[in-house]
Amino acid sequence: MNSLEEFVSLVRDEVGLPVTVDDAGVTLDDLPGWDSVHLLTLLVAVERATGRPLPMPDVLEAPSLHHIYALAVNHE
Amino acid sequence: MTTNDLRPAPDGELLALAREGTLAREYPRVRRLVGELSGDALVRAGQLLTWLDQDEVISAHPAVSPVKIAITGHGTLHALVAPLTAELARHGLLLRPYLADFDSYVSALAEPGSDLYAQRADLVACVLDPAVIADELPTPWRHEDAVRVLEEKLALLEQLADRYGEAGDAVLVFNTIPLPHELCAQLVDRRSRAALGAAWRETNARLLRLMDTRPWLVVLDLDPLLTEPIPLCDPRASVYVKAHLSGELLARYARELGHLARQITGRTKKCLVLDLDGTAWGGVLGEDGIDGIEVAGTYRGEAFRAFQKVVKQLAAQGVLVAVVSKNDLDLVRQALREHPGMTLRENDLVRVIANWRPKHDNLVGLAADLNIGVDSLVFVDDSPFECGLVRSELPEVAVVALDGEPAAHPGALLRDAWFDSRDVTAEDLTRTVRYREELVRKDFLRSFGSLDGYLDELGVRVRLCRAVPADVPRISQLTLRTNQFNLTTVRLQQPDVQRLLADPDATVLGIHAADRFGDNGLVGAIFLRREGDSVRLENFLLSCRVFARGIEQACLSAVLRHAGASGVQDVLGGYRPSTKNGKVADFYPMNGFIRVSQVDDLQVFRHDLAAIPAPPRHIELIVLLGAGR
Repeated sequence: MNSLEEFVSLVRDEVGLPVTVDDAGVTLDDLPGWDSVHLLTLLVAVERATGRPLPMPDVLEAPSLHHIYALAVNHE
Repeated sequence: MTTNDLRPAPDGELLALAREGTLAREYPRVRRLVGELSGDALVRAGQLLTWLDQDEVISAHPAVSPVKIAITGHGTLHALVAPLTAELARHGLLLRPYLADFDSYVSALAEPGSDLYAQRADLVACVLDPAVIADELPTPWRHEDAVRVLEEKLALLEQLADRYGEAGDAVLVFNTIPLPHELCAQLVDRRSRAALGAAWRETNARLLRLMDTRPWLVVLDLDPLLTEPIPLCDPRASVYVKAHLSGELLARYARELGHLARQITGRTKKCLVLDLDGTAWGGVLGEDGIDGIEVAGTYRGEAFRAFQKVVKQLAAQGVLVAVVSKNDLDLVRQALREHPGMTLRENDLVRVIANWRPKHDNLVGLAADLNIGVDSLVFVDDSPFECGLVRSELPEVAVVALDGEPAAHPGALLRDAWFDSRDVTAEDLTRTVRYREELVRKDFLRSFGSLDGYLDELGVRVRLCRAVPADVPRISQLTLRTNQFNLTTVRLQQPDVQRLLADPDATVLGIHAADRFGDNGLVGAIFLRREGDSVRLENFLLSCRVFARGIEQACLSAVLRHAGASGVQDVLGGYRPSTKNGKVADFYPMNGFIRVSQVDDLQVFRHDLAAIPAPPRHIELIVLLGAGR
């Protein structure tokens, strides 16, 4: 995972949610179309893309996409 | 991380449609694209499809059938929706999912006033997982505790199935509950661990047997699916989000459910079409000769023999098997007849087509000869070129792409439940013979100058009589399999037919036919309803093997005469257009009915019983419309 742009494009293509880099800092509850069930889909996609496991409880508690990106990058 | 744009087609093509926002408009293309995917890629495609506006798809493509599936269960089941969406798209269907509240399966099924019942779903999937049992165990627990919980849950599930059978009208799906190692390993003594294992398997066995007496119930056996291999559970998802079955298992479950959805919407696969060189045997017949091909004895020969045995096994249960091969016909026939090690013989095959024409042309010709839809073919080939060509030319044909490893052929053929049905009927056991007789009839027809001369010589005998309980599985199957001569395309499960048999205002007639070439069996059904001074023909269906030889006119004439004799004023018949039944659009007007109204898509025709046409004179008709046969 090299950039936030790459991560956001993963969210778009794997979850199907039309988000942009500008949405990454938005609280997930305020993100149009977001549902907590997408967290699991996104987690699986990030793990597949990076080839490394993420701490699921941290992902479930992440307040924004940016936080999830940070978790993905820090675990690389 | 890979760059998405570098993903190979069709994954990439689907993604491009999703990015453009044109998935709904291009939905018919989606079927072919999704059909080529498997594993993670299929689930990803399903996830993109979950965003589709279903109403937009249906309004743009009226031929796409929506299927409502209500999902309930013990754990979190959101991960089922994406793969299920993809699986239905593969079959040209559109999923309308309903997900019941978390862990609400007991109230959802026990209370006919629940939201789940209000959905009027086509299928209800109650997904059971090991936590159904494990969550009820005390801490610490002994194997006796587990045995008690197993007993309680089985009794509960039996009650829920019965309640749904009384108050619901769709097919209910349960599944067996796999025993996780993580649970049984908590018992350290082998004796109680064995006792737990035995009780657990007994519960699953009894769960499976609930199907025996409940025609509205299907119990999927998850244990065989877990041998593929697939993980039962992701411990993190189980603990943190109460998703007790792994994404892979839910995707596999979705595949089974997709086939069930295909069957209940009448998309039956009827014919398995086999390639020969590299598929049914090793080597190239034209080059290696009959003695050179591998069908037994050698390592690879034994692998092909095992595959042929699986094909023969399917053929024995009502699957028509045909050959479409680029080969010399005489040589193929000789190999099938004379090769001492051959398992599949000409008698197992409904048609052998060997020539050098494109396979998609041969598939179209085969479907026409058998009078079945091209979409009821399953094509099996080891050549990526042939598979790709058939996929692109005939996207409605299911393609099973084999590779160069014959040991994997049986698994590849059976991985999808293409030919599963609820019951095998007596009709299924003789289907190949009957279709072969039908092809002989066609040759017989070609020897006549006129159709009338042919029909006079055919000696058609028809018996029209009230259906009895033993006819229920076959009549249900006829409503599910018949697409062309099906006036209203109402699909009936066995309980629906049973309800009609018990309904004093309804009459179900079975049409049995035979001729000089053999017995056709129970080939059609007529559903009547008495409404005051009228009789309504709710549906009329006839197997594609036997129509256009006067049977339908003879039966209609008998129904009209019987209605007249029983003091009825008129007979009403309905026709609802489908993508397949255009050739019977004029059936009622051609037989003396006048069109009187249209209610939504149902056209209603009326016969005043003044002039009832005589049955065609070439048919010997026996009519038994009293009670019973």
